[in-house]
Amino acid sequence: MSYKERKIGDTLLKVEDISLSFGGVKALSHVSFDIKEHEIRAIIGPNGAGKSSMLNVINGFYHPQEGLITYKGQVRRQMRPHQAAKQGIARTFQNIALFKGMSTLDNIMTGRLLRMRRNVFWQALYFGPAVKEELEHREAVEKIIDFLEIQAIRKTPVGRLPYGLQKRVELGRALAMEPELLLLDEPMAGMNVEEKEDMCRFILDLNDEFGTTIALIEHDMGVVMDLSDRVVVLDYGQLLADGTADEVRNNQDVIDAYLGVSHGDDESLEGAA
Amino acid sequence: MFYREVGQLKTSYQSDQAVFTIAQDRWSFLVLLIVAFGVVPFFINDYFANAVLLPFLIYALAAIGLNILTGYCGQLSLGTGAFLGVGAYAAYKMTTAFPELNFIIVLFVSGAVTAAVGMFFGLPSLRIKGFYLAVATLAAQFFIVWLFYKVPWFFNYNATGQISMPPREVFGILITGPKAQPWATYLFTLSVVLVFAVFAKNLVRCRSGRAWMAIRDMDIAAEIIGIRPLQTKLLAFGISSFYVGVAGALMFAVWLGAAEAGETFGIDQSFLVLFMIIIGGLGSIMGSFLGAGFMVLMPILLKQSMVDGLGLAAVTAKHMEFIIMGVLIVFFLIVEPHGLARLWQIVKEKLRLWPFPH
Repeated sequence: MSYKERKIGDTLLKVEDISLSFGGVKALSHVSFDIKEHEIRAIIGPNGAGKSSMLNVINGFYHPQEGLITYKGQVRRQMRPHQAAKQGIARTFQNIALFKGMSTLDNIMTGRLLRMRRNVFWQALYFGPAVKEELEHREAVEKIIDFLEIQAIRKTPVGRLPYGLQKRVELGRALAMEPELLLLDEPMAGMNVEEKEDMCRFILDLNDEFGTTIALIEHDMGVVMDLSDRVVVLDYGQLLADGTADEVRNNQDVIDAYLGVSHGDDESLEGAA
Repeated sequence: MFYREVGQLKTSYQSDQAVFTIAQDRWSFLVLLIVAFGVVPFFINDYFANAVLLPFLIYALAAIGLNILTGYCGQLSLGTGAFLGVGAYAAYKMTTAFPELNFIIVLFVSGAVTAAVGMFFGLPSLRIKGFYLAVATLAAQFFIVWLFYKVPWFFNYNATGQISMPPREVFGILITGPKAQPWATYLFTLSVVLVFAVFAKNLVRCRSGRAWMAIRDMDIAAEIIGIRPLQTKLLAFGISSFYVGVAGALMFAVWLGAAEAGETFGIDQSFLVLFMIIIGGLGSIMGSFLGAGFMVLMPILLKQSMVDGLGLAAVTAKHMEFIIMGVLIVFFLIVEPHGLARLWQIVKEKLRLWPFPH
């Protein structure tokens, strides 16, 4: 733990007073929290709490009606997702969003697109610098493939892969961007215990080795409590709690939101306990 | 038995990313090239060039163009006929305005003009997708053909409204006009198509190709990893139209020699090329050749075998040909919806094990 505390740096991303609504539906109202460099930050909450909307706000898919987003010390204007990508924000999706017609290798190679410079003419000739660039990035991608232990499925079209591996490839594609901030939307949904453990290991490793800041949404409380440095709890679009895993676990509001509150005879229940 | 890759080890990423990773493929391709360049020109005659080889090559080029847009980038287009026309008319205007200009430059300029027009009509693709985009490109098809009819400037104010290609030379060899030799037109077309096919293959295995496929497969995720949708789609429209434009210029100048907007570049052409890439294989350069081969050669084969072989009347044979072609297309689409290229791949995978099942 002490190692972690030493490692965590300044604020990387700060959202202040974010409100987002779709017509009459309020997805987020006045949410503020921050993400520090190198930390693993979990966003939890019941279904429909606005967690995915929050990620969508961070990487530019949704534009909040109110509020400020400060990323790397700069207040951010409205931006499109590809601009967020350029600034070093990568993400994975709740329902896998891979490029189904392409192989694992090509999928992860697309993650390097922003770093490739050669123009169409060089590419058409496939000569000199263009080849060199391809090979350089291929090498970087191979490192990721090694890291995620997916060597065997390098040339397999991702549409044919089982669910757990697809999630892993999607993580690989996000990693290929060498992001500073990695947003993971339910990286372990629908996995069995073994796959979950693998995924946890990858998340911890890449946080350790590459110092990537990670914000993750997850429903498995065991995973959240084990992995994350700090936890944000959202409920009905509002911030319910913010703090370390232990603080959040013992927060009465959080317990109420997850387990529900019984109305009327609170006293007698407490007495019984 | 002979199609094995045993012992062919790849030791570098470069060899792993080659187009033909298996030695047998490399050798067969080389043999094919030698036959195409070294043998065919000696045996070619007028009929063989103008009815079989030139249409095959030129349609293959157009199919590569459309495949880049539809097969790789996922943008459905029904404007191919009109874009062929733009290439043809651009070539005509260029070569009549500047008779001294090298025909290769004329080809490139026609491609560039078509690319500009294609990109303009590709602008709506940011907002509309799928069938709706197809309808938007359909507008391009009708508008452009109408323009070529209505504005006499395009056909140099001549009385017939047709355009016809004056004789032009490349490196001192006549390649257009009625006096051009079949071997010359064939070799010229073959070289152009080959070069552009290689370019296309390189593009689709590099950054641009991956960006196109990303947009095709999941545009939201593509944007997340930093691909700009409009630029990427416009690039696909531009390059696709460039190819189609060059094909159109070749079609008019080298193959047909004369053209009329509505007849030569009508909506049937759009569908013909679209069928070629669907049957050949969406998202495959080789599929473009296979599809063009199928759609060009099969009718000729059918006609020959029915008229000469079975002794049917020409009219009957023509109708039979429609029926059989229709049945064949349906058959192939049911057997392998991903086209002939995929079928070829499956055959190759089977061949690796043949004759032993394991």
